[in-house]
Amino acid sequence: MSEPLMRLLAELPAAELEPEPAERIRRSCRARLVRHAARASGSTITFTPVWRLLVAVLGAAYLIGAIIEAVRVYRFS
Amino acid sequence: MTGVERETELALVARLRQGDADSFDDVYAAFNTRLFTFLVRLSRRRDVAEDLLEETWLRLVKHARRLRPDTRLGPWLFTVARHLYVSFNRARVLEDSVSASLIAIWPFSLEQPSPFEAVAASELERRIERALAALPSTSREVLLLVAVAGLSHSDAAEVCGITPEALRQRLHRAREALANALECDAATEPPALGGIASCPSR
Repeated sequence: MSEPLMRLLAELPAAELEPEPAERIRRSCRARLVRHAARASGSTITFTPVWRLLVAVLGAAYLIGAIIEAVRVYRFS
Repeated sequence: MTGVERETELALVARLRQGDADSFDDVYAAFNTRLFTFLVRLSRRRDVAEDLLEETWLRLVKHARRLRPDTRLGPWLFTVARHLYVSFNRARVLEDSVSASLIAIWPFSLEQPSPFEAVAASELERRIERALAALPSTSREVLLLVAVAGLSHSDAAEVCGITPEALRQRLHRAREALANALECDAATEPPALGGIASCPSR
């Protein structure tokens, strides 16, 4: 009897969420998705150049320091 | 995935990852009723199912940007819904153990018909709902995922965190348990279901 039983299960009525909570959930999730996306894209616009700039400045400072040190060692040796 | 073509699904996932709100509407329309039906029958309470459903959708929104491009939305959503139910149930068991002594002195039974049972159109439907509700949740969930939600065996196995072979065995046992429960129900409540014999254990 298992196949007819599975068919009976498949034919059971679906549960319908009432329109009001269904719409409330849909709207709040939609709004959150938009907020998350806006925050994420905003954060990439603001922070990506800052990070890049910081890495470039530190890299340049390190390179300049290394050159100065090399010149000083060369001059006094 | 049932209900949405694979190409459409991949496009939906890509748009969800970008935070496209219209893609959320499409996913919501495709899965909301199936998820709610699964959760109502699993929890046997509409209010609980509604809360778990909302939390499931919030999880999707929260993780939308981190979804893998090849994510299969059906198994993903049902897995989250199931995990939420399991967590809810664990918390409820703890609460129940604390209040067990109070329930023991309660003057009437707290067992109530499930929401489906209350509105089932036919006697047969009512019996199936009752038998389904009486099954252990591990049996109920596999029947709900495969027979009601229409997931494939491999997708249902993924949702339950077991191998497809283990799922097949669990499904086989669940079918037998449901058939037995229906037979027992027919034995206690006479007519209407001509094909089902009396309960062997009685």
